[in-house]
Amino acid sequence: MDWSLLFQSYGAVFSSVQVLLMTLLGAMGGVLLGAIPGMTATMGVALLIPFSYGMDLIPSIGLLLGIYCGGMYGGSISAILIHAPGTPSAAATLIDGYPMTKNGQAGKALSVAMFASFCGGIIGALIMTFLSPLVAKVAMKFTSAEMLMLAFFGLSVIVSISGKSIAKGLISAFFGLLLCTVGLDPTYSVKRYIFGMKPLLSGFSFIPTLIGLFAIAEVIAGVERIINGEETQMKNSEKITNVLPDGKTIRQIWPNILSGGIIGTFIGAIPGAGGDIAVFVSYAFNKSFSKHPEKWGTGIPNGVAATESANNGCSGGAMIPLLSLGVPGDAVTAVLLGAFIMKGIQPGPMMYVEELPTVYRVFAALMLANLAMLLVGCLGVRLFAKIVSVEKKMLYPIILVVSLLGAFSINKSVFDVGVCVLFGVVGWLMNKYEFPLSPILLALILGPMCEQNFVRFVDLNQGNFWEILHHPIAIGFFVVSVATIVFSIFNQRKINRLESQGVPEEK
Amino acid sequence: MKKILSLVVAVLLIAGLATVAFAADYPTKGLTAINPWSAGGGTDSCLRAFTAALEKQLGQTITVDNRTGASGVTGHEAIADADPDGYTIGMITFELATYKALEMSDYTYEDYDALCRVNTDAAAVTVNAKWASDNGIADLQGYIDYCLAHPGEVRMGGSSSGSVWHIAGGYLMNATGIEIRMITFADGAADAVKSAAQGEIEGVTVSLAEARSFIESGDLVCLGVMDTERNPAESFKDIPTCQEQGVDAVYATQRGLALPKGVDEEIRKTLEDACAAAIEDPDFVAAMGNMGQAISYMNAEEYTAFIAQAAIDVPAAMEAVGLL
Repeated sequence: MDWSLLFQSYGAVFSSVQVLLMTLLGAMGGVLLGAIPGMTATMGVALLIPFSYGMDLIPSIGLLLGIYCGGMYGGSISAILIHAPGTPSAAATLIDGYPMTKNGQAGKALSVAMFASFCGGIIGALIMTFLSPLVAKVAMKFTSAEMLMLAFFGLSVIVSISGKSIAKGLISAFFGLLLCTVGLDPTYSVKRYIFGMKPLLSGFSFIPTLIGLFAIAEVIAGVERIINGEETQMKNSEKITNVLPDGKTIRQIWPNILSGGIIGTFIGAIPGAGGDIAVFVSYAFNKSFSKHPEKWGTGIPNGVAATESANNGCSGGAMIPLLSLGVPGDAVTAVLLGAFIMKGIQPGPMMYVEELPTVYRVFAALMLANLAMLLVGCLGVRLFAKIVSVEKKMLYPIILVVSLLGAFSINKSVFDVGVCVLFGVVGWLMNKYEFPLSPILLALILGPMCEQNFVRFVDLNQGNFWEILHHPIAIGFFVVSVATIVFSIFNQRKINRLESQGVPEEK
Repeated sequence: MKKILSLVVAVLLIAGLATVAFAADYPTKGLTAINPWSAGGGTDSCLRAFTAALEKQLGQTITVDNRTGASGVTGHEAIADADPDGYTIGMITFELATYKALEMSDYTYEDYDALCRVNTDAAAVTVNAKWASDNGIADLQGYIDYCLAHPGEVRMGGSSSGSVWHIAGGYLMNATGIEIRMITFADGAADAVKSAAQGEIEGVTVSLAEARSFIESGDLVCLGVMDTERNPAESFKDIPTCQEQGVDAVYATQRGLALPKGVDEEIRKTLEDACAAAIEDPDFVAAMGNMGQAISYMNAEEYTAFIAQAAIDVPAAMEAVGLL
């Protein structure tokens, strides 16, 4: 580690007005884009790349990283306030974030999300700065066998996010896995369950499905409540005096932030696994080690902290294989790779040899992007929290229009709007009969990953699955998965027992 | 108020008619360029760089519209189905030649009026360096000999199923008589390249640009480029072509501009001329150079013949990799 060069690079990045301005602009754009369901950070980065053609490398990377980090936090805003994850990575945030809003703690949820996002991002940036070569080496050990078992490990988390009934959670998860089989088979291009509908060739589009299951379902449920006269204005008695969480809250959530940030960074560093997986793993991990697992899902800041630190940790993690291997860690970094190449820089092992100052400046830009996100977040918390005081009769139509527009804009496809509405109804019915929705989502994310890697692994070894015994990391993941399942079943029993005894609500 | 509104509508209608009536004035408004692939990918950067140059020629803005989904079928169909008024163009790619054979779409090259070919990227036979030296493979002939001695054992990665690089393996097999196993990587070429660098598979048949970082680091070694000429880039210029080594395997992905059928001939001519000029735009040339994408222009006539030939050749190679 060349310290003087590192400090020099940080200095150069932090003292350049252009870089500061661009990063701040990016963070603002990112928070806004992230907060709108259907507009993702990936989209923002892709759309802004042409604008960055005329700029130098570092300002344009600052702009793009600003969007990336901002988008990761922005997604949580709509997840917390209106039960519509703005980005897939915010999908686990609503498990505790939305109940917090219902309990009249929208402002607190937002500030915890912001603080956790920032800390997670910094953890990711630090790990990236100091441990990149090491982490990249570990990431290079992930072949099909390891990816298969990592996906399996991700699925083992389902028990933990199932809520009261594990059986219902599993039914949801299998429903999600079945949905994954629609479309062209990834290995042999065989058409499955298309029924002559061409838009289904690529399966149910993920984002319209996500928006339908959560946002549209919530709107339908809300309208139902209004018709039945049950809808009451959410309590919004809280006064937001401080935009950052107070000392007591920070003391309560710091273990979650720390573990979330680290989990996020490492999962983000594995190419092919991103924030959407990391948040669920972090949530389940933190819930398992919590002293009060029964409170998770009822609206506690720890749940928000665990997930938001994980998805922002991911941004640092995903940059590691991008820079040191030239292999993007997720969708956003895939677009970033294009941006580097446009500037004539090929990320990869040689970049650390030939372009070390650039590498360090990218580290610094990521750090700066997280600071910019914090600033934008601080300025916005009071404003965002006002959404809950909007009268419900006004709010639901707006959510409906924004959600449907978001579903449409991903592929500019009316078919996707239909998919979104369909899953809205499905989500509403499932909610009504107390089937948890998060397992479907997790299955949708991990199903294709499981299938592809399983088929490829078997194909590589000419049908001999037991070759997997030669992959110690894969076996490790398998053991951890089984342990997770057993542990969460016991945990759930404990929760159910505690609840039947009627624990007094803790202040 | 109503009067003003109807006046505005009338003016707009007349203006609309005018654009149809006087093709000589084309273009009078902005154009849309449909891209069947997602924003930020190789096709996207190529199209955006080219439309920027084309804008200068036409004096109108061109908006890129990414109509993604269904392995590019959605976008390709959208181009063919667009209003043939000359204000919608689109980028057609290699994959168009595969849709009919895969029964994914009934559209073929005959549903388009080609404008020009913009870019080709050649496939290359790139293998894991350690595997190659362990088995004494120094050049393409060595690789072929090894594959002949071990039929069906060598595993090559070729991006997603039915993709251009997957089919490249079929071309290689047809040209050399070897039997290799093509492994698919649904997430794309980057994944396949990583897998080859890890030694999970023996090699890849993707383009040089996609394997670049691991070739430079020495984890992968390229044995031959499936092109008629060597790649002129600094790090690639020492890599021989397959033809130099006596193997007649030439294969590349290609991207070009096309119009829906039925556009007025004069408008088509205007666009063809603009394309011919835009291809030499220095900014475009520089951008393509940075991206490692080769410019390989063909005019409308040549390009039409080219995609007609591809409609015959590509399905034959798909059969070799077992896609059909």
